[in-house]
Amino acid sequence: MHDMRFNIPGKDLNLEPFALKIPDFQKKCEVMITDKGYKSRITNIVPLSDHERLFLLRIVDPHERELFNFRPGQFLMLEVPGYGEAPISISSSTSNHEFIEVCIRKAGHVTSALFEAKQGAMVSIRGPFGTSFPMEEMQGHSVLMVVGGLGIAPMRAPLFWIGNHRDRYKDVRLLYGAKEPSQLLFDYQFEEWQKVSNVDLLTIVEKPDDSWKGNVGLITALFDEFTLEPEDTYAIVCGPPIMFKFVCNHLDKRGIPMNRMFVSLERRMHCGMGKCCRCMVGSTFTCLDGPVFDYWSVMNLKEAI
Amino acid sequence: MIYKVISKPEFKAFIDAIVRVNNAYGPCQVEIDAKGKPIYQFKPVKSADEISFDYTVTHSSAKHFFLPFRDELSSFTFTDGNWEQEVRYDAPPTILIGLRPCDINAINILDDVMLHGPYPSPYYLARRKNTFIIGMDHLPLPDCFCKSMNRHTVNHGFNLFCSDIGDRYYLSINSANAFSFLKEFKIEEPSYEDNCNLIERRKSIKNSFETNVEVTGLPVFLDIEFDSPIWQKWGDKCLSCGSCAMVCPTCYCYSVEEKFDIDLKGSSRQNHLYSCNLVDFAQVAGGHNFRPRNGDRLKYRYYHHYRGFAANDNQQICVGCNRCGRACLANINPKDVINDLRLERESCTTCVSTSPEKT
Amino acid sequence: MNHLGFKLDKVKVGSFDFTCCEGCQLQLANKESTLPEFLGLIDIRNFREISSERHDDYDIALVEGSITRSDEIERLKAIRAQAKVLVAFGTCACFGGVNSLKNRIPQEEAIREVYDGKKIETMPSMKISDIVEVDLSIPGCPVSKDEVERIMVGIVTRSAVSLPKYPVCVECKQKLNTCLFDLGEICLGPITRAGCDAVCPTGKTACLGCRGPAEDINFPSFEELVLDRKLSISDMKEKLGFYNGFGDYLDHES
Repeated sequence: MHDMRFNIPGKDLNLEPFALKIPDFQKKCEVMITDKGYKSRITNIVPLSDHERLFLLRIVDPHERELFNFRPGQFLMLEVPGYGEAPISISSSTSNHEFIEVCIRKAGHVTSALFEAKQGAMVSIRGPFGTSFPMEEMQGHSVLMVVGGLGIAPMRAPLFWIGNHRDRYKDVRLLYGAKEPSQLLFDYQFEEWQKVSNVDLLTIVEKPDDSWKGNVGLITALFDEFTLEPEDTYAIVCGPPIMFKFVCNHLDKRGIPMNRMFVSLERRMHCGMGKCCRCMVGSTFTCLDGPVFDYWSVMNLKEAI
Repeated sequence: MIYKVISKPEFKAFIDAIVRVNNAYGPCQVEIDAKGKPIYQFKPVKSADEISFDYTVTHSSAKHFFLPFRDELSSFTFTDGNWEQEVRYDAPPTILIGLRPCDINAINILDDVMLHGPYPSPYYLARRKNTFIIGMDHLPLPDCFCKSMNRHTVNHGFNLFCSDIGDRYYLSINSANAFSFLKEFKIEEPSYEDNCNLIERRKSIKNSFETNVEVTGLPVFLDIEFDSPIWQKWGDKCLSCGSCAMVCPTCYCYSVEEKFDIDLKGSSRQNHLYSCNLVDFAQVAGGHNFRPRNGDRLKYRYYHHYRGFAANDNQQICVGCNRCGRACLANINPKDVINDLRLERESCTTCVSTSPEKT
Repeated sequence: MNHLGFKLDKVKVGSFDFTCCEGCQLQLANKESTLPEFLGLIDIRNFREISSERHDDYDIALVEGSITRSDEIERLKAIRAQAKVLVAFGTCACFGGVNSLKNRIPQEEAIREVYDGKKIETMPSMKISDIVEVDLSIPGCPVSKDEVERIMVGIVTRSAVSLPKYPVCVECKQKLNTCLFDLGEICLGPITRAGCDAVCPTGKTACLGCRGPAEDINFPSFEELVLDRKLSISDMKEKLGFYNGFGDYLDHES
C-alpha cells in the first residue's frame, strides 16, 4: 500500500536559510529567529544615582554590531540570561556604532540582576524596536524638550542627534525636572549640552536640598520662563504619564498643534514584536506603533493616560 | 482545489489508514455532562473507531496544536564566563481531523497574526507547515453564531474538507499530499446530483442558525462605549478565571517567563498562553496595574475580539464558535454582552430621559 | 553566574515540622530525578527527612505544619529569631490546613474522640503567620515539588519568587479537562490559586482549595455559580472550610 505517512516541508525548519542567518530586526515581515539576540558585553557601568546606572554595552560580533542601527526614541529588549528580558529605551547617540548606552533604574528582577552584574558580564539584546522621534520633520523648526525624572533616558538620543546636526534646528530648549537635585541625571553633561550643542537648559526640582540654588517646583513652573512660537515649535515630552498629560495640555493651550507634540509611552512588554499583547493601549501595540506617539494619537488611545 | 466524492465507509477506511501511521488527533467523546450531553475534545487517535465523526463541537479549540499552552522559545547554556543560546523549531508532523469551518477560519486568523505581521513567528510556522488539516462541516448548534461573524464557510487553510451530503462526503482537496493519500481509495467525480446535494447542504447549514449577533459597525460602537457601565456590570459577574481565553480558538495573548535549570547550568525562556482576563495581565514592574477591575479586563477581551487590533488590520478575531460562552461559569457570552451594549446605546439615543431598566 | 560576573552561594536551609503529616517535607526527599541538583542548591543544616545532622546556623527556615500546642509557639519563635527568611511550607503552615477542622468543635470533644479522654494539651489550630512574621508562603497539600524547586532556585539566584495570581481553571483548561461543574460537582478551582497543574480536577476530584484563594477573587460570583447550578451552599461551605484557606469568605453573607 501507498505510504500514508505525512512527511512535510516544515520538518527541517532548523536547517532553512533563515534559521542559519543572524536576525536583522529592521527587516520586518521576514521570517527570522527573532528570539535570538546579539550577544553583548557590559563594558562599563556608570553610577548615576542611588537607583540609576548607565550601562555601556558592546555587541561582541562585528557583523551584528553593524546590523544594529537605531533611531532616537527606539527601544531594545535586554536579556540577562537566566533572569529574563526587559524593554529598555536606548540612551546613546545614533552615531555611536561602537557602544550602546542604556540608562536603567532598578525596578524589577531583570534590572536587579543587571545591578548585580559586573563589568565584562555577557548579556543579550534584541532590537531595535518601535517608532522614533521624527528628527527630519523637525528640521528648520524650534524644538522644545520637556523631561521629567528618568524620561531623560529616551531623550538623550534626540539630544545627541540635535547636537550632531545643530545647524538644522532653530531654538532648542530642554526643560528638565526631578524630585530632588540628586535625581537630575547626567549633570556632568549639562555644560556640554549648553555650550557645545547650544541647548537652552532649564532645570527644576520639587524638593531642593541645601546646596540647590535653582528653580523649585513642578516642571510646568518653567513654562513662564520663556516665550515660544507655537507655529514653529515641535515638542518632545518624556516622563511619567501624569507629567506629560499636564505638560501637553499646557502646550496645547500655548498653541502647539497636538500632532507636533511627541511622547514616549511605557508599558509592560514581553515580546517587543506585537504578539503577546501585554503592551496594548486601547487597540494599539506600544511596541509596534509606539513607544513614540504624537499627542493627537495618544489622546485618541483609550486608557493611555 | 480538486473536488471529489467518497462513500462514508470508504472515507472511514481512508481516515483509519491515515491515523494508524501518523500522529493524529480527532474529536472523541470524553464525558457525558450532568445534563446527559456528550462532551468532546480533540484527542490522540490510533484508529478511525475512536473518532466521533458525528460530534457536535469540541469543548476546547484546536489552537494549542499551533500555539501550545507552554512552549520553549530558546534555551541558554552557561559556560565559564559566557553562554550559548539555542533556538529550536521542532514540530512533529500532526494530522488534525474533523475541524469545523470556524476552527479553520480561526487558524487562518492566527496565520495573519503570527505569520503576516511585522515579525513572523518561526515556531508557529513550523507547526503550521507540519500539520495536515481535515475539515468537516456540521449543522450549527443553537448557540453557534459563526454566520454573524461570516466565518461559517471556509475556502482555504485546510488540506482536505469534507461536506456531508447524505451517504457520501463531498471532498474539497486542497493539497498534493491529501490527493496522493486519497489515490489508494475509491473516490469519484462529483455527479450533477452530488453538486446539487452540496448546494442543498450549504443552504441547510446557512438557514439553521438560531443565534445572531449584530456585529456591523461594532468597532466604532465599541470605541464609543468604552466607558459604558455595561462593562462593569458584566465584569461583576466575571470570575477572572481565564477559561474563555483558554478554550478560545483565536485568543493568543501570552506571557514570557525565563527560568533557571535546577542545576543553574542553563536557563529556558518559555512563553505560555495567558489571558487578558487574568488579574495581573496589565501589571507592570513596580506593581501598578493598568486594568485593576474585572470590568476593564473583560472589556479588553471584547475589544480585542470585536474591534480588532491595529497590528492585524483591525479585523475582528472572533469566529463565533461560542466556546467561551459555553465554558464560562458565570454565564457571560458574546451574544448577551454585545446585545446589552447595543440595547444601552439604542435606549440612550431614543430616550431623552434615563435608559429603561434592563433585565 | 559566571557570565554575569558574580558568584552564587548555597543557601543554608533548615526544615522544621509542627502539627502535620510531614508529607510536604517528604515531597522534597521523594523526587529522585532532581534530588541531587536540588541538594546542590542548598546547604542542609537541619532536615530530618534528609539528613541526621543538626545545626542551628540556617538562613532559610521551611516551616511545615500548624500550631496546636504552647511549646510549639516557643519553638517557632526561636526559629523565627534565627531565620533570615521564614517560609510557611505547605497548606497547614499557610492556612492551618486540615488540622483546623477541629476548630469547629469544642476542644474537649476533640480530645475525647481522638485520645479517648487522655489528658492532652491542645489548642485551636493556627497558621504560622498567626504567631510570627512569614516572609514567603508555599501552599499546597502537599506542596508541589516543581514549585518548591522553582522558588528555591529563585532564592539562590535572587530572581523572581512568586506564585501564580490566577486561579486553577487556567491550568485545568490547559489539561483539556471537563469542568467538574458540568459534571454536577462543586469545585473550588475558579477561586483557588493555581500552581498545582490542576492535579485534582485532572483526576476528576473537585478542588478543595489547598492553595488558598487566588488574587482578587470574585467570591459573590462564585456563590452565584453554585446557586445557579442548583448545587448545595452547605456543600460549598464544607469545601471552603476543608483546608481553612478561605476563612475570610466563609462568614460571607449569601
